[in-house]
Amino acid sequence: MSGFADVRPPDAEVIARILAGDSDAFGILVRRHEAGLLRFATRMLGSADAAADAVAEGLIRAYRHLATLDDPARFRTWVYRIVANRCKSHLGRRSAQGVSLEEAGPVPDPHDGEAELERAEQLALVERALTTLSAEKREAFLLKHVEGLSYEEMAAITGERIPTLKMRVHRAREALLEALKEHR
Amino acid sequence: MSELDPRIHQVLDGELPLERLPPELQATVLRLERAAGLLRAAPAPGSVTGPVLAALRRPRGSRGRRLFRWLTGRHAVTIAMRPVWSLAVAAVLAAVVLVPTHGAGPLLGAQEGIAQFVGHFPGARSVDVVGPFTDWRSGVIPLRDDNDDGVWSAVVVLPAGAHEYMFVVDGERWIADPLAGRYVSDGFGRQNALLIVRPAGR
Repeated sequence: MSGFADVRPPDAEVIARILAGDSDAFGILVRRHEAGLLRFATRMLGSADAAADAVAEGLIRAYRHLATLDDPARFRTWVYRIVANRCKSHLGRRSAQGVSLEEAGPVPDPHDGEAELERAEQLALVERALTTLSAEKREAFLLKHVEGLSYEEMAAITGERIPTLKMRVHRAREALLEALKEHR
Repeated sequence: MSELDPRIHQVLDGELPLERLPPELQATVLRLERAAGLLRAAPAPGSVTGPVLAALRRPRGSRGRRLFRWLTGRHAVTIAMRPVWSLAVAAVLAAVVLVPTHGAGPLLGAQEGIAQFVGHFPGARSVDVVGPFTDWRSGVIPLRDDNDDGVWSAVVVLPAGAHEYMFVVDGERWIADPLAGRYVSDGFGRQNALLIVRPAGR
């Protein structure tokens, strides 16, 4: 992929097309952002099915309210906020802060190479440790370290102040390391 | 839970180069980065492009038809007002309902009643009540604290019967009403508050 300039139209340009009547262009935004959203929602909810529901609902909601988005360049943080709220509602409905590991990760195939198996085991270990974090800490860790968002973007998504988020990320790192020790 | 050396956080927050840390602290940074890297590299499960685009292509019906569906469907209706006014309105409605009338119908449907939600949440920025009547979504029935005394309230019209509910404080803390008096298990080891709404027509 390297060596090629990114010629994809920016989100704001796609949104302008959608608002001008080209509703199919929303597919560009869905395909562009769904991987990150699904990854985030799956880790938040611990279930691929529940995550797919939350992301689909969030994207449909985003489409229906696209005209209300003040700054189209911020579509990514906006849609993360919508999906994060869907996840919170889902967790609240289940009234469980913890998530199960039922569908949190793929089961390693014995035909995979040794290195791949070891990687899958390590991933399972990290996922198990992640489920021991509170929903708030899990969200903070995922947004910061897995989705690679800045604290400013996280503040726009969660509605929290930056110092609060920093503290939450710090506590999440400590809790995750602690859990990794216990699950080793 | 043991606190990490603050320099570890500084490195992870991009405020300090990794090389400035002693080797044992560098190992902790790398451990966390590896954990995040594993989560990042794992393939996202499936795709929602098909279902999302299919849902958007499905005709939603005309605006009038959607309005008709909304008006004829069952919804919680929110009346946001100062607590003192909400009590006054509740008293007036109760008087209208309880005092026998000759021929005049009640203000509420025979199978509807008034529910008042009140909670003490000092320092909260927002409080919502959620339940099956909001599809467990917050933002539908916000409580208000107009005089900033930490007492949040809302008066709503709900279908008569038993309603499970929770308060959502600041959009994230789910709390069973400590003053509810009745609770039911949510099936996940916790309890929802239970409210019995009596039909206003009785």
